[in-house]
Amino acid sequence: MRSVELLTDAQVARTHEASLEVLERAGILVHNEAAREVFRRHGCRVDGESGLVRLPADVVENARAKAPASFTFCGRDPRFDRTIPDDGPIVVTGSSAPNLVDPATGVERRATSADIAAIAHLINELPGFDVFSISTLADDAPLGQLSLSRFYPALKNCLKPVRSNTPSMDDLHQVVELGELIAGGPEAYRERPLINHHYCPMVSPLTMDVDSTEAVMWLTERGLPVYTTVVPNAGLTAPMTLLGCLVVGNAEFLAITAFQQMVREGTPVIYASLPTVADMRTGAYAPGAIETGTLIAAQAQLARFYGVPSGGYVGLTNAHANDAQSGFETGMNTVLAVSAGATLLNMGGLLSSLMAFDFAKCVIDNEIALMDKRVWRGLEFSEESLAVDEIVAAGPGGSYMSRKHTSARMKTTAVLPRLAARDMRGQWEQSGRPDIHARALAEARRILSQPNPVVWDDGLDGRIRDRFPGLVAGDAAPLGVAGA
Amino acid sequence: MTDAEIFAKLKQAVIDQDEDAVLATVDEALADGVDAKAIIDQGLLPGLNVIGEQFECEDIFLPELMQAALAFQSAMTVLEPMIKESGAEGPKRGKVVLGTVKGDLHSIGKNILKLLYETSGFEVWDLGIDVDLFQFVDKAKEVDADIIAMSALLTTTLVGQKDVIEALRDQGTRDRYKVLIGGGATTQEWADSIGADGWAASAYEAVTLSATLVA
Repeated sequence: MRSVELLTDAQVARTHEASLEVLERAGILVHNEAAREVFRRHGCRVDGESGLVRLPADVVENARAKAPASFTFCGRDPRFDRTIPDDGPIVVTGSSAPNLVDPATGVERRATSADIAAIAHLINELPGFDVFSISTLADDAPLGQLSLSRFYPALKNCLKPVRSNTPSMDDLHQVVELGELIAGGPEAYRERPLINHHYCPMVSPLTMDVDSTEAVMWLTERGLPVYTTVVPNAGLTAPMTLLGCLVVGNAEFLAITAFQQMVREGTPVIYASLPTVADMRTGAYAPGAIETGTLIAAQAQLARFYGVPSGGYVGLTNAHANDAQSGFETGMNTVLAVSAGATLLNMGGLLSSLMAFDFAKCVIDNEIALMDKRVWRGLEFSEESLAVDEIVAAGPGGSYMSRKHTSARMKTTAVLPRLAARDMRGQWEQSGRPDIHARALAEARRILSQPNPVVWDDGLDGRIRDRFPGLVAGDAAPLGVAGA
Repeated sequence: MTDAEIFAKLKQAVIDQDEDAVLATVDEALADGVDAKAIIDQGLLPGLNVIGEQFECEDIFLPELMQAALAFQSAMTVLEPMIKESGAEGPKRGKVVLGTVKGDLHSIGKNILKLLYETSGFEVWDLGIDVDLFQFVDKAKEVDADIIAMSALLTTTLVGQKDVIEALRDQGTRDRYKVLIGGGATTQEWADSIGADGWAASAYEAVTLSATLVA
């Protein structure tokens, strides 16, 4: 499919130059001293007192040019490994929400490790999702096992690539050790690192933090998979123009990409972002707004110019329920992103601006994801698809319904939704007028009432539990029903 | 110009969010012999009140509220030393120790809150970003704070707010302070579950809430 382009080639080049100018004239504030040293060694001007680093254009250009063209996510089962852009668009859940809408009561509450186990099972079964970015925090985490209590239930219940962050180096070391145990040793893990790390070391505008930066450096040095997301917010951390917001985000992407290449040449990256325009009536955060889709689309063009895969958090919603707003925000933004060539969509399962996971939203987003992937396929132009012989054979006034040409393609040409209504109004009324939320929650319940065959064996589980005493159970329970 | 006219002009300059006009009118008023405290109480604050009302009904947006507050703050840097010198300094509404919790470097919301606190008559100690629990606890003790206000944008750093409240409990000083939490990752439920005294969705609401907490 030919991608939608919002910028001319000359405008892409000018946006790139403008970003380089920002990095040279404004610079970036680097709070991590080891990171400053990396910039200094590679020819950047570092003010040791303020931490301001000015990046000469040629230094940025040389470094970022070393970023390879693809990024691979590995899962527990290699059948689920995904490489972008070639396997794109890949769909990733939204992550790290503190809360969850309880399926039995409909009331928002703190999420737990058992919830993560259930969500992992669900994501493993839903075909639209490619990567499980751990959707929530785990409020029941034992002291010192904050991240283990998220990664363990996620990996135990899902064969697809698992992605998340860690708040401290101790947590990161534990999580990598968990990955090595699952892989069967450090070497096997290095071969296929089945944990995919993600951080936001860039705090907009133009600032690199301490802790996430250290984690990114540590992983990059070891050649373990890690990518970052930049998060410019027009009106608060970027100018109140879409283009100005694009430039801030692009400068941030170039800086962190150059940094990773300085740490280790050839490190795979993704141009990932969560660009927003703040609602200036109150300053409210608006990741569901259509401007995010527009910015992700423009960024996809810049990413092609840089020769790296792109995408990010697009298709999030500010809505608090599975209503029309929730659907149009996820749908419109992701269609725009996919049409423009973004191959990573962080979109699934969250309501209320990333604050709460909802099982029904997750199943609805699976269906939107399948539609987005259909958009990506486009018309699949070929002589065979033009079907001239078939049109002649059916002839004027003929029907295609009973023809073999039709039955051979009826399951692949169009998305066959499980949730979207296709029945007549009378049928819908007879079945109790279920709305999309009710249908989606029923589907989540159906999936989670089945045993999960991908949970690993007792031998491996015993080795993990021996190494990390006191670990949460990490098992999913069927979803509660109202009144139960 | 009569005093009434000067006050009206001061009020209007704040409503217009015009820092230059505010400063020029303050100079004019001082040259006319108007008392610094009267400039604030009868000119600038009535203007800020109108700004607050306009903001609440969305006649003006957040950047305009901020510009009015910044204009007010500029005037205060001129007027406050004079008031101190004359000994006419009134009591502050409350002392606030403010910061973004450990591991979190997001400062924009916190800085908006700081400005609104200061323009609403609170005294603020801003500990900045990435503030660990002892800094909060020690500073609150040192300045005998009324309010400890903590921000967190990242869901993974939220727990820092809980840590501070627990540390206060451990020290037996929890009841000395009102603890307020806010920031993108927080909710009223979270505030309730960690035993905070209050939660606000925005900086503007946080100041309104603080005023009732220390009243």
